[in-house]
Amino acid sequence: MKEKIIEVNNLQTSFYTHLGEVQAVRGVSFNVAKGEVLGIVGESGSGKSVTSMSIMKLVSYPGKIKSGEILFRGEDLAKKTDKEMLSVRGDKISMIFQDPMTSLNPVYTIGNQIIEAIIRHQNVGKDEAREKAIEMLKLVGIPSPEERIDNYPHEFSGGMRQRAMIAIALSCEPDLLIADEPTTALDVTIQAQIMELLKELKNKVDTSIILITHDLGVVADTCDKIIVMYGGLVMERGSAQEIFYTPKHPYTMGLMKSIPRLDAGDDGRLIPIPGTPPDLIKPPTGCPFSARCPYAMKICTQEMPGYTKFGEGNEAACWLLHKDAPEVEVDTGVVRGDVNAK
Amino acid sequence: MQNKEVLLEVKGLKKYFPIKHGFLGRKTKYVKAVDGIDFKVYKGETLGLVGESGCGKSTTGRTIIRLYDVTEGEVIFDGTDISDLSQRELLPFRKKMQMIFQDPYASLNTRMTVADIIGEPLDIHGIASGEARKNRINELLKTVGLTTDHASRYPHEFSGGQRQRIGIARALAVNPEFIICDEPISALDVSIQAQVVNMLDDLQKNMGLTYLFIAHDLSMVKYISDRIAVMYLGKIVEIGEADRLYNHPEHPYTQALLSAVPIPDPDLTRELAKDRVILEGDVPSPLNPPSGCRFRTRCQYAKPICSEEMPELQDIGGEHQVACHFTGKLIK
Amino acid sequence: MSNKNISPELWEKVEVHASRSEEITRKSLTYWQDAWRRLKQNKLSMLGLALIIIMIMFASFGSMFTEWDYSSQTLKNANLPPKMDVVKLPNDVYGFVHREYTLFEVDETGHIIDRLEPTNSMLDIMQNKRRIYEINGEEVVLDFSFISDAKKEGKIAEKGFELTVNGEELKTVKSLWNKTYLFGSDDLGRDLFARVRYGATISLLIALVATLVQFFVGVFYGAIAGYAGGSVDMIMMRIVDVIATVPLLLYVILLMVVIGPGLKTIILAMGIIYWVGMARIVRGEILSLKEQEFVMAAKTLGASTWRIIARHLVPNALGPIIVSLAMMIPSAIFTEAFLSFIGLGVPAPMASWGTLANDAVKALRSYPFQLLWPSLAISITVLSFNFFGDGLRNALDPKLRR
Repeated sequence: MKEKIIEVNNLQTSFYTHLGEVQAVRGVSFNVAKGEVLGIVGESGSGKSVTSMSIMKLVSYPGKIKSGEILFRGEDLAKKTDKEMLSVRGDKISMIFQDPMTSLNPVYTIGNQIIEAIIRHQNVGKDEAREKAIEMLKLVGIPSPEERIDNYPHEFSGGMRQRAMIAIALSCEPDLLIADEPTTALDVTIQAQIMELLKELKNKVDTSIILITHDLGVVADTCDKIIVMYGGLVMERGSAQEIFYTPKHPYTMGLMKSIPRLDAGDDGRLIPIPGTPPDLIKPPTGCPFSARCPYAMKICTQEMPGYTKFGEGNEAACWLLHKDAPEVEVDTGVVRGDVNAK
Repeated sequence: MQNKEVLLEVKGLKKYFPIKHGFLGRKTKYVKAVDGIDFKVYKGETLGLVGESGCGKSTTGRTIIRLYDVTEGEVIFDGTDISDLSQRELLPFRKKMQMIFQDPYASLNTRMTVADIIGEPLDIHGIASGEARKNRINELLKTVGLTTDHASRYPHEFSGGQRQRIGIARALAVNPEFIICDEPISALDVSIQAQVVNMLDDLQKNMGLTYLFIAHDLSMVKYISDRIAVMYLGKIVEIGEADRLYNHPEHPYTQALLSAVPIPDPDLTRELAKDRVILEGDVPSPLNPPSGCRFRTRCQYAKPICSEEMPELQDIGGEHQVACHFTGKLIK
Repeated sequence: MSNKNISPELWEKVEVHASRSEEITRKSLTYWQDAWRRLKQNKLSMLGLALIIIMIMFASFGSMFTEWDYSSQTLKNANLPPKMDVVKLPNDVYGFVHREYTLFEVDETGHIIDRLEPTNSMLDIMQNKRRIYEINGEEVVLDFSFISDAKKEGKIAEKGFELTVNGEELKTVKSLWNKTYLFGSDDLGRDLFARVRYGATISLLIALVATLVQFFVGVFYGAIAGYAGGSVDMIMMRIVDVIATVPLLLYVILLMVVIGPGLKTIILAMGIIYWVGMARIVRGEILSLKEQEFVMAAKTLGASTWRIIARHLVPNALGPIIVSLAMMIPSAIFTEAFLSFIGLGVPAPMASWGTLANDAVKALRSYPFQLLWPSLAISITVLSFNFFGDGLRNALDPKLRR
């Protein structure tokens, strides 16, 4: 088994607003090994982005990490001060964000921003840093990087900006790359380019990646392991195959049934998950999904179920999986495409 | 489909946005957002309009509903060319043609209550007032799955999906025949998208609505549309029946677009990814589009003729039209 | 999963009500309620608001606390200070020695009874530098020769005067607040309290005019320019630029030539210039708002231009409009005070804080209290409007909403 780069144990992050405590993350645990891609899937308000921000310790006022461990190569980031985090952020863990339009500083050239990152985190001179920056831009697939390095962000298109962001994130050779919805703002053809790039990074540089997204297609395409989050909690975890082919949690199944597949025939109708995600100011007692779950039982509204294990790294939190639970006919929504069809 | 009645016909529609330069604002350049497109929408169907950002799909929708003035071409709605009617003359058409917007956070006025938002079209067209207005609002709220309690609340108290439903209720208030859906689900959560799409589907069946469904999410467009038009840089490159277009895409751009969509099925999508067509580079600027075929700069099959001549949409049978010099001659 | 036993009835299925998760549990807060909540958290701006209210109350009801009108003169009561050190006179009445070496009778609460008339001749007063009074049959002498005597010898006098009864010096017994002239009186014996109060009404009137002009002209003009866009916008904004290039002082001077000095002139000049900033702000807001989808939605519904501006655009721009109003008020008040101070303001006997300050400067060394009140009033008002405006900006700025 490969070395674990990061291990998050029972992470809890809350925001203290005038309306009360918003429990955005309510006890999340996961780990990522070297060269592994972990997908965090969830809707807005599921706590997936707050989880990533907590790892970087970028949760700002009125948010606070309440408890939990964030073990990065054995060191607990949760205990580190802001100053100590400076040498972690960018250097060992990098992050790319959803919006490539706003995450680059418009008054500096792309080159300046990459060179600055390289000089800050590596002990190299200016010329050497520039060489390296050009190399990085080439790596992320920007054509004629020698010329484009002196361009300003507004001269780059959306896809190129996201590549430039990835180049900045990778310029310090981080052990872990957190990509928060990296392709959501991009077109499909550009999304395909970026996903190809992420896969290459994983294979060539052996970078560990946490990919946060709501797009199940992207997850299926890129991730080794997946956690499905809802209402600040992990509902289910497993390998990509386990999640997509043998989902255990009604929420995971519900997600599958609510998205159309490009390869599906004309007959199927989408089965939406009714209702809206819970208000985390007053999270419902019991399972957060119980209000929208077609199989909800009385117990679901009273107590949060524990995790039922199915194999190494495959578990789900649902009362239906309890040994005494009544047998229920469950529509998993699994459609398995024929791999040999093409 | 041939025998169906045409509700909307767009002929040679162009929309150019002038870019002003210099002190006195001399108009020197144009962004050719929509550059001569033709299509028909039949009564009761859903035509999907897909393309990447900047291809002009939203501009097309906004020009048809006359949020923008038409630069050139005709928009024939129910037999009347509405492309050069004044805003006053358009008023009766506003009751027949409505629009649902992309951003549920920006498309509702945050200073108005839900009742006032939905009631505004009733006031403008003098459809109902007093008790009748109230009843109509409640009826509309019920249609989109909200309750009367929601009427007195403000938009910021609702979730994205609920807001989008309020937007739908507002569009339905005038009993339209035709609704332009401008990316109505792309800002919503996965589990909510299906709710809205199914609602649109049900409304279409119950009220006999016709949709122009603009989106960039191909799987969703394929799911909801009867026919699909693919746009690239202000031009329609391919238009045809949804399943046929997916199973037999003829234009190289359509092919690339379809292959770029990852399928939520790990083994299958990884197998497909092996021969995925990854397009090089980005969409060129509509300020200065390439000569000839707009797609030639990124097309793997491009030949000299592509830069010389603009390919026209050609019927290849079965209501399927493609704009490519090598239709049917491409070796995959 | 724990294997603890679950009582069987808990396994009963519950019906999912889609509406259950759609119920809105949060308390409904409108934009304004939320803004008020955040404004209340800002202590400084609440202090500002309280002071503004006090200033308005002072301007409206302050006249109840004084018997004087702002223009009524009592020459013999000129330059009386608000606080008086008093002595006990032989007739058991308190006496106060004015800086001009005259003796006033004061009752025990601090009301001025009258100025006493000396019994010695004018010549004696001038030559011997003393005033002799006869009170209750006893001779009271106010000797103020010390300063001129000391000057002759090239020394500095230890005291300015001495008050004696039959040769025995009368010492100060206590300090009394002047109840007749709460803030003291000016060089013509007018009540400063009444005059500062009158100045407050002028300043608040100016603030009101500036606000109204900004709101009605500025918002209207800016909204039309922003909504029309294109060449209409260009021409309208160039007009604004031309108006804004001419300094306010020039307008005031030019208008004074035409319609003479006075409150009217100042108000007119401010009316000409004060809406310009607002027009620019509103235009900018409208320019960005009109591209938003809710405006497009209104257009597709067939809403008229007027309806779009009045119901959709202006209400959404109200935040910045109000902030800019609150921030512009102190500037208007200060400008009026400045113009009055340099003599371009309201003519006598009308009083504004600026003219009061100007009058007080002449006798600053003898009667500093005369400058204290108007300048204190200007500072408090301008500061409290600034505090309040700053808090408003934080409360209404959508970027700061949580």
